[in-house]
Amino acid sequence: MRHPTDGTLRRLLDEPAGVADADREHVSGCPACRAGLATAERDAQLTRAALDVDVTVDVDAGWSRLSQAVAADQPRRRPVAASRWRTALRKPVVAAFAAVALLGGASAAAAADWLEIFRTEQLAPVTLSQADLVALPDLDAYGKVEITQEVKVRQVADADAAEKASGLAVPRVRELPRGVTGQPAYQVGGRVNAVFTFSADKAARTAAATGRTLPPPPAGLDGSQFRLSAGPGVAGVWSEARGVPALIVARVVAPTAYSAGIPFRTAVDYLLSLPGVPENIKAQLRGYTGDATTLPLPVNSQYLTSSATEVGGTPATVLASRDGLITAVVWVKDGVVTAVAGSLSADEVVSVARGLGQR
Amino acid sequence: MRADLEEVFRSAYPRVVAVAARVLGSRDEAEDVAQEVFLTFGRSAVPAGEAVGWLSVAAAHTALNHLRSSRRRAAREEAAGDDGAVWPDVADTVVTLEERRRVRSALARLPRKHAVALVLRHSGLSYAEVAAALDLSPGSVGTTVRRAESALRKELNRHASSD
Repeated sequence: MRHPTDGTLRRLLDEPAGVADADREHVSGCPACRAGLATAERDAQLTRAALDVDVTVDVDAGWSRLSQAVAADQPRRRPVAASRWRTALRKPVVAAFAAVALLGGASAAAAADWLEIFRTEQLAPVTLSQADLVALPDLDAYGKVEITQEVKVRQVADADAAEKASGLAVPRVRELPRGVTGQPAYQVGGRVNAVFTFSADKAARTAAATGRTLPPPPAGLDGSQFRLSAGPGVAGVWSEARGVPALIVARVVAPTAYSAGIPFRTAVDYLLSLPGVPENIKAQLRGYTGDATTLPLPVNSQYLTSSATEVGGTPATVLASRDGLITAVVWVKDGVVTAVAGSLSADEVVSVARGLGQR
Repeated sequence: MRADLEEVFRSAYPRVVAVAARVLGSRDEAEDVAQEVFLTFGRSAVPAGEAVGWLSVAAAHTALNHLRSSRRRAAREEAAGDDGAVWPDVADTVVTLEERRRVRSALARLPRKHAVALVLRHSGLSYAEVAAALDLSPGSVGTTVRRAESALRKELNRHASSD
């Protein structure tokens, strides 16, 4: 028979039960394989010794620290300057990615996702985690969400690899703003798919939890399924110490929604009509849902200001934190969302955005 | 924050710190990474049943990212003649500080997936768990780990002989 692979030999060291009997028998009688096994064992031992660390942790102390970090995420309870700064720094980034979830003109994503993220935003600073790069909305309050294809975000070696992995043209920053140096780390996220099944019962319970009554859903909405899809996406991140992003240039294929049954717009309109959504935000969303190239950004004026600009002739939105620490500019073109964000001035992010070239 | 955060934290924290510590060689830095990872987890909708795998992979990636930034920091500090301030809290009874540094730098040079598989396997995840966490077939985990160990040994030898 053929010799088992190196991988099989390696597993034989750790989990002999996971290796087929025939392979085990072969190895025991094959000098070449036994030599290979010995080499594998030597390398494994070397690695074990090299990686060995004696780590005893104090779980209670760890939990206490995490609890404080969680609590410090709450608004008006952020005593540590550094963490506040970091929080602020990441806000527009989150806004930018949340915006991504709002695009495509009519995603059920729209209302619920934005509000969800924005609400979270007020309660807890959201880091630019992998999930943010290509995110789908949390619509659990209104039905059942089944992720049919999980997003896998990974770091890739360089822009070429990012382009190859995402299929997106990676924007090239021609001139870095002052103070931003070095090479970016590239992250790539694949496509994420989910099926959202609307449940009138769940939506009613959500409404009841806030003491409201659910308006009657349109005929056929209860039990309707919508397929939501977003990504792939790619981001170049220039970091300062400890991974705090100084500049992020991200590009994501805008989310889309498909419906086999009742029109998706009907569902969106209904979601927009649900209790608990502030009037001004509803109005903004309604005003925008007809145009897939405009950004329906309901800006919380307590934290952010927004203004309009253009990037290469495309309408774009500038978001700036009120403390002036961070700014983002986001625009959509041909179904692709691009965002430039960082601890920069509005002029700087817009300048980077307008100067982006194709590689 | 998710309701099961404390429960998951209490059961998985030692494992998550251990994964990060294998990458970083430092408990303090590993605890920082674990905190970061749990905060992200707390905001996520990762199913509880997949928590340990998710957290382990996240810890390995985050630690490898930190490794890269601390290598850059180390390079700057060395350039500035401030050597020795790089891993001040290495609790090391097996190999010397210099060897540890070689290990970190060798790890950082491995292909990311290989490095993660290696660290997860040596942190006690089974082949099936590593496979599930990295979306590999169980059969290819052995191959990946084997290649990573071989590459690590070569990196270590190369550097040992070049010093």
